Amino acid sequence: MIPASFEYYSPTTLKEALDFLSSREDVKILAGGQSLVPLMKLRLAKPRTIVDLSRIPDLNYIREQGSRIVLGSMTTYEQIETSALLQAKCPLLPQTAAVVGDVQVRNQGTIGGSLAHADPAGDMPAAILTLAAEMKAIGPNGERWIRAEDFFVGLLTSALEPDEILTEVRVPALNGAKTAYLKAAQRAAGFAVVGVAVCLRLDQNGSCNNLAIGVTGVGDKVYRAEAVEKILLGKRLDANFIEQAAREVTRGVDVIEDINGSKEYRSHLAGVYTVRAVKAAMQA
Amino acid sequence: MAETKYIGKTIPSKEGARHATGRGLYTDDFTLPGMLHAVILRSPHAHARILKVDPQAAREPPGVFTVVTPEEIEKKTHPFKPGRYAAGLKKAIPEYAGAIGKVRYVGEPVAALAARTRGAAEDALELISVEYEPLPAVVDTAEAMRPTAPLLFEELGSNLAWKGSLHYGDVAAAFNQADKVVREHLKIHRYSSTPLEPFACIASFDAASKKLTVWVNAQVPEVIYDALREALGLEDVRVIIPDIGGGFGQKIHLIRKYVVLISLLAIESGRPVKWTEDRSEHMMAAGHSCAQEFDVEAAVKNDGTVLGLKFKEIDDVGGSISTLTIHFTNKLNNLSNTYRTKNIFLEGCSVVTNKCPVIPNRGIGKPGMCFIWERMMDRIAQELDLSPIEVRSINLVQPEEMPYTTPSGNIYDSGDYPALLKRALEKIGYEKLKAEQRREREQGRLLGIGVVIGVEPGGRNAARDMAIFPEMKESPGSGGVNGATIKIEKNGTVTLFLGSPNCGQSHETTTAQVAADILGVDPEHISTSTPFDSDLAPWGVAAANSGNNFHLYDIGAVHGAASRLREKILTLAAHVLNAKSEELAINAGVVQATGSPLKKISFAELGKIAYGNQALMPKGFEAGLQATFYYTFPHGEPNLVPGPEGLVRAQFTFSAGAHVAVVEVDKETGKVHVLRYLIVGDNGAVINPQVVNGQIYGSAAHGISVALGEGFVYNSDGQLLTLTLTDYGKSSTMETPRIEVEHRPSPSPFTTLGQKAAGEGAAIPSPAAIASAVEDALRPLGVRVRELPLSPEAVWKLMQEAVR
Amino acid sequence: MKETIKVTVNGRTYVEDVEPRLLLSHFLRETVGLTGTHVGCVIGECGACTVILNGKLVKSCLLFAVQADGKEILTVEGLAANGTLHPIQKAFVEGYGLQCGYCTPGMILAAYYLLGKNPDPTEEDIRKGLAGNLCMCTGYMQIVEAVKEAAKQLKKA
Ligand SMILES: Cc1cc2nc3c(=O)[nH]c(=O)nc-3n(C[C@H](O)[C@H](O)[C@H](O)COP(=O)(O)OP(=O)(O)OC[C@H]3O[C@@H](n4cnc5c(N)ncnc54)[C@H](O)[C@@H]3O)c2cc1C
Ligand code: FES
Ligand code: FES
Repeated sequence: MIPASFEYYSPTTLKEALDFLSSREDVKILAGGQSLVPLMKLRLAKPRTIVDLSRIPDLNYIREQGSRIVLGSMTTYEQIETSALLQAKCPLLPQTAAVVGDVQVRNQGTIGGSLAHADPAGDMPAAILTLAAEMKAIGPNGERWIRAEDFFVGLLTSALEPDEILTEVRVPALNGAKTAYLKAAQRAAGFAVVGVAVCLRLDQNGSCNNLAIGVTGVGDKVYRAEAVEKILLGKRLDANFIEQAAREVTRGVDVIEDINGSKEYRSHLAGVYTVRAVKAAMQA
Repeated sequence: MAETKYIGKTIPSKEGARHATGRGLYTDDFTLPGMLHAVILRSPHAHARILKVDPQAAREPPGVFTVVTPEEIEKKTHPFKPGRYAAGLKKAIPEYAGAIGKVRYVGEPVAALAARTRGAAEDALELISVEYEPLPAVVDTAEAMRPTAPLLFEELGSNLAWKGSLHYGDVAAAFNQADKVVREHLKIHRYSSTPLEPFACIASFDAASKKLTVWVNAQVPEVIYDALREALGLEDVRVIIPDIGGGFGQKIHLIRKYVVLISLLAIESGRPVKWTEDRSEHMMAAGHSCAQEFDVEAAVKNDGTVLGLKFKEIDDVGGSISTLTIHFTNKLNNLSNTYRTKNIFLEGCSVVTNKCPVIPNRGIGKPGMCFIWERMMDRIAQELDLSPIEVRSINLVQPEEMPYTTPSGNIYDSGDYPALLKRALEKIGYEKLKAEQRREREQGRLLGIGVVIGVEPGGRNAARDMAIFPEMKESPGSGGVNGATIKIEKNGTVTLFLGSPNCGQSHETTTAQVAADILGVDPEHISTSTPFDSDLAPWGVAAANSGNNFHLYDIGAVHGAASRLREKILTLAAHVLNAKSEELAINAGVVQATGSPLKKISFAELGKIAYGNQALMPKGFEAGLQATFYYTFPHGEPNLVPGPEGLVRAQFTFSAGAHVAVVEVDKETGKVHVLRYLIVGDNGAVINPQVVNGQIYGSAAHGISVALGEGFVYNSDGQLLTLTLTDYGKSSTMETPRIEVEHRPSPSPFTTLGQKAAGEGAAIPSPAAIASAVEDALRPLGVRVRELPLSPEAVWKLMQEAVR
Repeated sequence: MKETIKVTVNGRTYVEDVEPRLLLSHFLRETVGLTGTHVGCVIGECGACTVILNGKLVKSCLLFAVQADGKEILTVEGLAANGTLHPIQKAFVEGYGLQCGYCTPGMILAAYYLLGKNPDPTEEDIRKGLAGNLCMCTGYMQIVEAVKEAAKQLKKA
């Protein structure tokens, strides 16, 4: 229950933090700690050095930037959930943040930590993928932007290099697109057995002219349900049609199996939640 | 007691303020000078031979004081004596506090060490190297019983460690006379009550006097007391039990292993040693409720009368022989449930597997017995095309039959089961709900209503087990004993010493209410001595936070002690006031002669005399104002000890409750939503309604959570997959429904105040109620619910199979 | 290597040398000596260790004490003023919103945080606000009712 010993640094500038990352061995970044600390307590992670980002002042913000909204990586779920700017211009993020874990986890967990952790059942990764967001990583060789579709590489693996820090997340302002995030939650902590994020636009005739569906909990990483998107795009979304399309949600995906659901049940549930999330978005 | 001013009322909780301010004192809160911290090395294998344990590297770091290995455990401790749940073993199997030679479940303790800090101890633990020879794991009872299955205990020659049966009445005749035989195969899974505070223990050994003191959050001091004497050969043992963060049976049995290991570390290191279990250790090794399987047959008449019941039970008891029959023997406690059936046959098979050992858990086996009856009642109704209410009603024991003797010798003290059922249906609006259900079904909504009824036995009688093991060599004792001491101090305050520890059932409040009414003081002025201390407490075998003992033994003892003290007070006061003791009344700690306003004396004044002024005491008066009373149940006969027919009072009082669950099943996901949950209960005369309600809410919530998905899951290698409360599926505020409770008490004619039990209560019928409601919801699909848990996936699968 | 930290707990400031791996929960229990903060799990699912850190409800077993350097903490021991129970505590005691008491400190702080943000919560709000705090004893009924009662009393005051 007690983590292995480590050295602790809490730099006050990004540069200092980057220096620590490249000059020490076996370093781990600490953000909110809601995933890292449990792993350390179980001694599944035994970093020799911890670099705490929480004292770097300019990593925590939500700002409008032209047609985009940018979030500092240390922005907490709670800040996202209660941000008036996001509620107005990118409601999918607050909708998603609101159903992560519990009050305490939302107060402490950060968007950066959640994305970097790349939990295959994480809620935020599904929303980020759906929004086609971009992540800014800063490393010893400067900064780079990583597109959401390239960011989630595999089970608990993101595209970040060990010496890179995720500093900012950039999402489009949605201007009227409709969104929803729904999940079938486990008992108690409420991790997603299946979670589906939807962002769509309907034209005057009620046809869907823009659609993105992000799915979490089903594969070894979050993914876009492209097969479903393709079927629905450009069509009027009546109930039967959505249901039919939703059956394709696990097409090409190696569906995982664990105590919360067999392959068969998870696949079925993914379909059900796809339907529910699309409908919820339409009504949003 | 002229009037009851406090009994029967809700007063503010006496233990509440310390808990609400963070001043509760739990075992882990104590620190002793020089105290070391212990950690336990546990088996990563479900089944393996221990080839070699090398502790050398772990002994080297400067903070490490002591490491004990299997070799040392075998050399320095003795095995536990086989208790009453292992009495049926053909061959005695020594069980030590740690694994010797072999490990039989993931998490079985193998070695232990103590170091200056918990961190240092955990660091050193990684340095102990153990060589295992992994053996094939046996995780399924059917597999385990195959002749070719790997054996857990080679000495037994089989994994079927025990088999036995009992019958009452003429079962064959009942089945011959039946119009129909209804059969079913039922299953209940492994779960536990997962108290929020894990095991904790501090051991301190004084080598000079050879006295061992342990602070431990154990529910039953006797178990710890005996374990330390048996395993360490110590006579002088003191068991201190501070506040306990929840027990529910979890902290009765397996905790003794750890107390022995930690005491051994304390003896070896010469330092006090503290150990606190972590959550994952608790999940893998602190004990599970037994997975039970039942083959059931009911002999019925066309009108629904159940003439006879037969069932064969297979218990998956895990990797220990020490609690082999605990879930089976407890079936005797509510064998007849609320029904009149006279002819019952039961057979039990205890199968050892490579899983965590089983332990008593809220209700122990009784939820299984109630599940058998209540599932069968629904099934009989379906097969005879009767309403499930009708079938239950026709079989209920009637109020005019009370006290009613069941075929196995239990004596139901009081109760009006038909009235409980009737009131429950009325209150829930059964007919209206049924109509709504029909309407909603047409809209495709799956609503279900489950109605069940169950008894809740209270008060232990260890002699019960002799009915199952007539060959038992050593008597397990019979009935129960517990004491209480009550004292007026020199300054007039009242102090109460209870004979048992408290796991959160408000014992301090309830006993103070009883003592307050008898002594004529405000409960606020009664202070209860905590923690429980075996050196001081007047405790007996029933000093156990288990077996629904409190209402019988503790209340009986407090009542007895307070009544004795009252007499003493009145004798002294009468003498001092020159009055007759019959003329005296006590009010707010002042003894007053009726009709003479000036003739009065306060407890403080009496205290001064009783502890310091011989001249004012009556002749022959024993100085001091203290009384102790040890209670045994005065109506223990007949059937206190089983005779040749095996008739025995398994427990002594019988509460009961009718439960109604209203659920909706999400037809797409299989998720069950509990829309309403109602209990109409008879817990006898209630001493404090909010306390009793709290027990009912908590036990019902647990039973519902168990039915809907919480539980342990192992993979085929015997690895436990549910090491956290999340994976285990514990219910939070979000999954727990509101519970409605109404009391319909029938006071027990046998107990001091008419009180009955309330601690296990609603955990007994609630799994059955949920099963019944879910089956009712899925009626249009023809689904039969035979198994718990009804997790969303399980329910979805039932629907899928039905559609196919 | 130890770090020196300065943490204010319930209004009193502590300057202590701690190992970086010392969890905040253990810092409060062992270093500061306030044992009202309980520990019931490893990976942070139970809420028994809940405290308020710079105004935010957090689980102290998922933080290192070094992360609290320079910050202010409120634990359950800081709620009652001079022996007078806070209305939430009072409601828990009178309404039996507790049994074994192990979840109680975390529960009460979660309720305190909730009522600070939302003085007039619905039952649903209360259940959501307490969702990170497990109780094995009560079935939550009397806890939820106690929070309702506390809200009523706080509004009156
Ligand atoms: C009880 C409980 C319930 C939970 N329930 C849910 C749930 O329902 N849904 C859900 O999605 N999640 C849930 N979580 C997980 C939670 O959302 C994660 O804690 C969060 O995603 C991680 O964010 P953090 O700031 O705490 O990251 P940390 O734990 O500090 O870090 C996580 C990982 O990311 C790395 N990292 C962090 N920040 C950066 C950065 N800026 N740049 C590079 N690497 C970085 C760290 O090194 C570490 O490897 C739950 C957690 C708990 C304890
Ligand atoms: S002890 Fe911190 S959440 Fe359980
Ligand atoms: S009161 Fe015991 S855990 Fe809540």
